This record gives sequence, structure tokens and C-alpha cells, in this order.
Amino acid sequence: MYESEQLDLATLWFLSARTMAIAGEDMPTVQEAATGLYAQAIIGLNEDECRVAKNAEHIANKTLIDCLSGVRRLPRELAEKVLTGVMMISYSDRSMKPLEVRWASMLASAIEVTPDEFQRCCVNARIIASMLRPRMQAS
Amino acid sequence: MSRNDTNFKFLERFDKRVAQLAKQAEEYVHTDPDSCMFKLRLMVETMAKKLSNLQMRGDISQDLGAMLGALERSGIVPRRQADSMHAIRRDGNAAVHGSTTPVPTAMRRLREAYKVSGWFCKMIKRGSKIKLEEFQPPDPPVPVDIATKSLHGKIDELEESIEQRRLATRESLLMFGPQENVKEVTRRIIEELKALDNVAAAAGEPVIDADFVALVMAMDLEQIEEDPRHGGDSRQARREAEQQLDTIKKHLAEREEAFLEERTFLLQKMNTL
Repeated sequence: MYESEQLDLATLWFLSARTMAIAGEDMPTVQEAATGLYAQAIIGLNEDECRVAKNAEHIANKTLIDCLSGVRRLPRELAEKVLTGVMMISYSDRSMKPLEVRWASMLASAIEVTPDEFQRCCVNARIIASMLRPRMQAS
Repeated sequence: MSRNDTNFKFLERFDKRVAQLAKQAEEYVHTDPDSCMFKLRLMVETMAKKLSNLQMRGDISQDLGAMLGALERSGIVPRRQADSMHAIRRDGNAAVHGSTTPVPTAMRRLREAYKVSGWFCKMIKRGSKIKLEEFQPPDPPVPVDIATKSLHGKIDELEESIEQRRLATRESLLMFGPQENVKEVTRRIIEELKALDNVAAAAGEPVIDADFVALVMAMDLEQIEEDPRHGGDSRQARREAEQQLDTIKKHLAEREEAFLEERTFLLQKMNTL
């Protein structure tokens, strides 16, 4: 992938991920940290791409429709990684709100995954979420 | 600031042990910066334990890194304070493991400990009014010569550049950029999401298999892994994900090693002066 494509991918990732986190209503720090770790460890983005993607010129003017359309254009494997990561964000607080389900549904439709493929993404997301979950809870 | 004064007088009202450690760190900053770092690390550990006991439930890890991570994830320790506490922990550990601490590094951490302790007092005694005066760096027992002063300046520049690189790493990991207005972004996304939800509902589009999502969330991980439909995939996914996460963690650890090497190199230069 060319550099600008990597930057577009980073922007798509952060927009998809933050939409899921926001749809979940509260945003534990674990989701924040997991977002960047997933981007670098699983999607393969580098530190600069992750930082620059969050600059206003890249992310501020993108709507969710742009995001869905961008995810749709991604190579299949990458698109599934984005979907898996977004589901991981959703699982990290162990609950799912209606808007979270809707966002997952919209992404899955954009990528055109089959139910089996979606299930596989969910299971993988659940596994990764378990690796990043905090062990203590605040009282 | 003369040798008998302290920046940490205010701490005595809140936690005598933490106050004592802070004052000892202050005393050692010029004469024995390694010991200053030991004391600061212990001070951070004492604060973290107190905060954990007061505000966390469940198994509390005794490892300081894990404890700080948990406090941060739970939202008890804000990002800025967590960064300072982690920096003190890292440099304290390096000192314990034989890496020499330069005076400017110890002074920088002492200043950070001062800011963190003001916040700590407010956390352990809600409603307490603390107005931190500007930090007064303790005076050296003997005047510092020009060559040492110049080297201290270089070390301070290096520390600043290390801080900037750490900050860049941190920013790359977070969900929002430092210049973003999180409230405004959240409002906009919620608005868009609700509009899309309304359109989808009006079009009669069912949400994806919500029952399945609920089932996966409710299942124990072991059950998922044993499930013949997913077992192969999930075990493979776990192996791959663990490997990839380890690579990133290793990269971050190697960078910290490199930071220490840069600092040691400068100190070696000082010794040859």
C-alpha cells in the first residue's frame, strides 16, 4: 500500500473505532489503549500514521457515510480486520448497546460479510478483547 | 530554595509516609540522584497502593506497572498524572537495576512528583483545597561548575526529546488526537449514528444477528475455543494476535532501552570531562 493509502486506512480505523466506542455511551480507557494497540499490532499501521490520521485535516471532515464507503473499498482481509477490531472495542466493556449493534450491522453490510464470516470476526474480537481487558474494577 | 526548606510541606496533613519519602527524595536530588529515584518510586508506589485500596475492588496487583495501568483504565488516575507516575516508575526501576540517574533527570521527576502529589491530596481527601506554589528546585550543596552545568543542560534537552518521543507514542495509541474536542466529536458522531439508525429502521433493515452477539458475549472464552465451529479459528487467532501484540510490546521495550542507552552515553561523556 502507498503511504497515503495507509493514512486513509488509519483514518478509517480510528473513525470506525471511535464510533463504536461512542455508541457504547461510556468510554473506558481500556478502549482507548486497545484502539492504538490493535491498529499497530493487527492492522499493521505505524506510529506516525496513527498520529497523523487524527489530525483535523484527515478525520474532521469525514462522515460516517464516508467511513462506510471507505471500508467497503478496502481489500477484504483488511476490511475484516477493521470489523474485528470494532467488535473488540464493543466487547471490551462487556456490554452492547443498540447503537453499537447498529454500527456493527452497518459495517458488516458495507463489507458484505456472510453470517459465518461475521461470526468468525466476532469470535476473534472476543478473544482479543479478553487479552486487553482490565482485571480490576473501580468501586 | 535552601537545603532546610521543602516543597512538600503541604503533604504532611494528608499522608505522612508520602511526605517523608518526598522530602527524602528532595534531599538526595543533587548528592545521590539514584537514591532520589528510589524514594520517588517508593512514593509513587505508596500513592498507588493507597488509591487502589480506597477506590478499587477485586484482586489488586502488587506490581506497580500493573497497578498504575489498572488505576488509569478505571479512570481514577487521569492521563497526565499517569504519565508522570509511569515515568517515575521507569526511571526508579532503571536506577534499581544499576543505570545511573543524572541530576537533571532526578530533578525533572521530583518536579513531576510535586505536581502529582498535589493531585493525590485532592483524591484522598475530597474537597480539600490545595493551591500548589511554583516548584522551587533545591539548591546544590556546592556550586556547580560551568562544564557540569553545560552537560546538565544537554541531559535536560535529551530528557525533553525522550519525553516528546514518548508522548508521540502515547498519542498514536489513543483514540482521539490532542487537539480534538472530544465532546464535539462525540456529539457529531451520535447525531450521525442516530440518523443512520432511523434510516435503517425506516427501511425495515434488521440489525445483524444480535442474538449471536449476545451469545458470544455471554460465553466463557474456553467454551468458545472448545466449540467445534470456532475452535480451530479462535486458537489460531489467539496465537496470531498474541504474537503480534508481543511484537509491538517488544518494540516499545526496545525503545525504552535505547532511551536509557542515550542517557548513559551522555553520562559517560561527563565522566571523561
